[in-house]
Amino acid sequence: MTKQEILSLLKAKLGAGFIAHTEPIPDQLWVEVKPQASVQAVELLHRTTKARYLVSVGSDERELKKRFGVYHLFSFDKEHFFVTIDVSADPHQPVLPSITNVIAGANWSEREIRDLLGVQFEGHPDPRRLVLADDWPNEVYPLRRDFDYSSKPPSNPENAYPFKDNPPNTTVVAMGPYFPVFEEATYFRLYVEGEKVVDVDYRGFYAHRGIEKLGDASLTYNQIPFIAERICGICGFVHNVSFCKLVEHAAGIKVPRRADYIRTIMLELERIHSHALWLGVAGHIIGFDTVLMQTWRMREPIMWLCEKLTGNRKTYGMNLIGGVRRDITKAQVPEVRKKIDAMDKEWQAVLDAVKDDTTLRMRLEKVGILNREQSHEWAAVGPVARAADIDMDSRKDHPYCAYDAVDFKVITADTNDVWGRTVVRILETIESFKIVRQCLDALMELPEGDIITEIRDEIPAGRIAISAVEAPRGEDVHFLLTGGDNRPYRWRVRCPTYPNLPTVQVMVKGEQVADVPIILGSIDPCFSCTERMEVADVNTGKIRVYSQEELFNWTKRKA
Amino acid sequence: MQSLVKMIIMVALLLFVSPLLEGILRKFKALVHSRIGPPLLQPYWDILKLLGKDDVRSPHSFLGPLPAFLGLAAILAAGLLVPLGNSAPFASGDLFLFLYLISFASVCVMLAGMDSGSPYGFLGTAREMMTSFVVEPVLFIALITVAIKTHNFRFSDMAAYQQISGASLSTIISGLALFLGIQAQLSKLPFDIPEAEGELMGGTFAEMSGPTFALYRWGFIAKQVIFSMILAQLFFPWPLGLVGLWAVVAQIAKVILIVVLVGLIDAVNPRLRIDQALVYYFGVILMAIVGLVFALVGA
Repeated sequence: MTKQEILSLLKAKLGAGFIAHTEPIPDQLWVEVKPQASVQAVELLHRTTKARYLVSVGSDERELKKRFGVYHLFSFDKEHFFVTIDVSADPHQPVLPSITNVIAGANWSEREIRDLLGVQFEGHPDPRRLVLADDWPNEVYPLRRDFDYSSKPPSNPENAYPFKDNPPNTTVVAMGPYFPVFEEATYFRLYVEGEKVVDVDYRGFYAHRGIEKLGDASLTYNQIPFIAERICGICGFVHNVSFCKLVEHAAGIKVPRRADYIRTIMLELERIHSHALWLGVAGHIIGFDTVLMQTWRMREPIMWLCEKLTGNRKTYGMNLIGGVRRDITKAQVPEVRKKIDAMDKEWQAVLDAVKDDTTLRMRLEKVGILNREQSHEWAAVGPVARAADIDMDSRKDHPYCAYDAVDFKVITADTNDVWGRTVVRILETIESFKIVRQCLDALMELPEGDIITEIRDEIPAGRIAISAVEAPRGEDVHFLLTGGDNRPYRWRVRCPTYPNLPTVQVMVKGEQVADVPIILGSIDPCFSCTERMEVADVNTGKIRVYSQEELFNWTKRKA
Repeated sequence: MQSLVKMIIMVALLLFVSPLLEGILRKFKALVHSRIGPPLLQPYWDILKLLGKDDVRSPHSFLGPLPAFLGLAAILAAGLLVPLGNSAPFASGDLFLFLYLISFASVCVMLAGMDSGSPYGFLGTAREMMTSFVVEPVLFIALITVAIKTHNFRFSDMAAYQQISGASLSTIISGLALFLGIQAQLSKLPFDIPEAEGELMGGTFAEMSGPTFALYRWGFIAKQVIFSMILAQLFFPWPLGLVGLWAVVAQIAKVILIVVLVGLIDAVNPRLRIDQALVYYFGVILMAIVGLVFALVGA
């Protein structure tokens, strides 16, 4: 389906609800519709054209256009472009119709916009808080532009979170907020009958860091790549690339080819060590620690390699808008190749071992089912969608960096279960080895040193860009509306866990308690990547935060 | 008098030597994992450390540390029935007493789980019960098979008979069944389902801490030795006809071998779900019954 066909479809069906359209960047179609037509517009895209819903972005544009903007983002994967449905809400009484009844996956986006910007969505099936803490005061909206990023509103302990009522004959088994096999804070409240999960409730966002607010209010374009990289401790480079691509898109900056290849290599190295990490964690969740220990042993040389190439094991700090900060020299190429070959060999052994392990298959097969339709409904991404036989991968669908020049397969499975997701990840890693090798070949041919484009002009205000980068966990989407004073007006990050995590509530229903951790694990969740040690004195109410250095010193043996 | 000395030796062995065996098991697991692993003596330090800690207990607890003491006592008492050298320290006890004591020890674990008042404890207890239903028949049938074969109910006499005549087809089959049952008896993977760190955070033991928890752990470590000794003596009596020091050496070597095998199975398997474990153990019960039938027809 071409952009023209979509436009005429929308125009014909929406009639007077259709306001205008633009194409800010070649791969985007921007359609402005009236609020009362937004549900129909979204339904047409989601149901009729089978476009994939990405996320809804809210933006406080009262000072620009006297409105709150809400953008529903869609991707036409096979046609390689994005469509945005732009809806305006009244600046004083922002109320819009909810699209969650049409697209289940919009649930979180709308709740988030309500929490952070105060735009109400009429008819939302679950209007509870999502992002804000329970004790955050009512009607204080932190992402509005008149809310200072460093202000601390007084606590309002009245707002207890209203969990669902117990279904009859069930007991509550709490998994979270801190649970041993979930590495980070998240709360799945299971309503169980014996061993069977009848219903589930979720509360999360315990460690929201307000990074988007910092980007809109405090940091500059050159600083944000570094904070973007800290969004995730494992796939940080993805966020970093996503943000740089946004600005490069919006301002039309051309990146040197060599930098593209270097970015691709780092992205794939990240995928390799992330999938190895995941396989280990998955093994650990079901008690198979040999898998954990062996995959993490294999992973270690890749981490060392990354440190050698960038200066850091993780959080490389390699990217700037316009290119990368360090070259991978021709002299370094053989070593990278050697490490990749060694890991490739060991990974094949892992594949063989896992494939034929009957007990492993007993635990993973036909568990945590999410089929193709459900996946579309919840807008699942990455290995979760690919294991539901959806051929979707932003590396192919929205090529960026050097992915247009390398040859690789998109791995899918049709089992819809945890086993499928496992197989997809293992095979994907093998594709990653291939991609890195091809990029290394290219590095040998391109001239050394040409790795960054200098930016002389200011980034113009009012530009819009969307970037989709395939993280190990799935597609990572960033949205940017450029602003004045050298920073975004609105920067929205939609990490892959954001659409995938709600699917867990679908997947665990009817399963056994024993399967819940591995089902959650199978989406490779990533919540906040924040570790912080606080000690609260219950008598005085004082809180002391321990620094990294103090914690390090504690772990050292006293001489 | 001599039996009193033997009893003291047996209890000391179960309490103070068995952690070493646990240390060997952990070292071996580390080897499979490509790890260096903890020091051999780590289980001792673990127990000591736990014994020295505060005993934080759930406010719902009614029984307190009682099940922990009773459980460990039952395991030690069961140990007195296992032959040490050529006779058991408590020679007049038979396999029925042994079965009661072992079952009582797992009942104590269930009591502790229910007593904790935590949903993890309840789920753990429910799983422990289901496991017991299928695992204890295996132990029972396997021991009865040897009893039929040796025309005796006392472990000392059974061991002596086996030592002379060697194992037969029936006892080997039931011995293998018992070996498969040990994994669940000792809460090892793939059958550590009642504890299931992954989903139940220790299940029956979720609310345990300090000295109480140490007693449970100690009990499991002692149980490991008891089961290994029974397997080694009653079901796999080879090499036959050894006396004196050599018999002891062979005994120790076999016990270590069994523990290492248990550790190997533990290391190369994920945890099964309770329904899968039940199906598996029905199969093991059938296997034990086959052994019994062979014994009845004289094989």
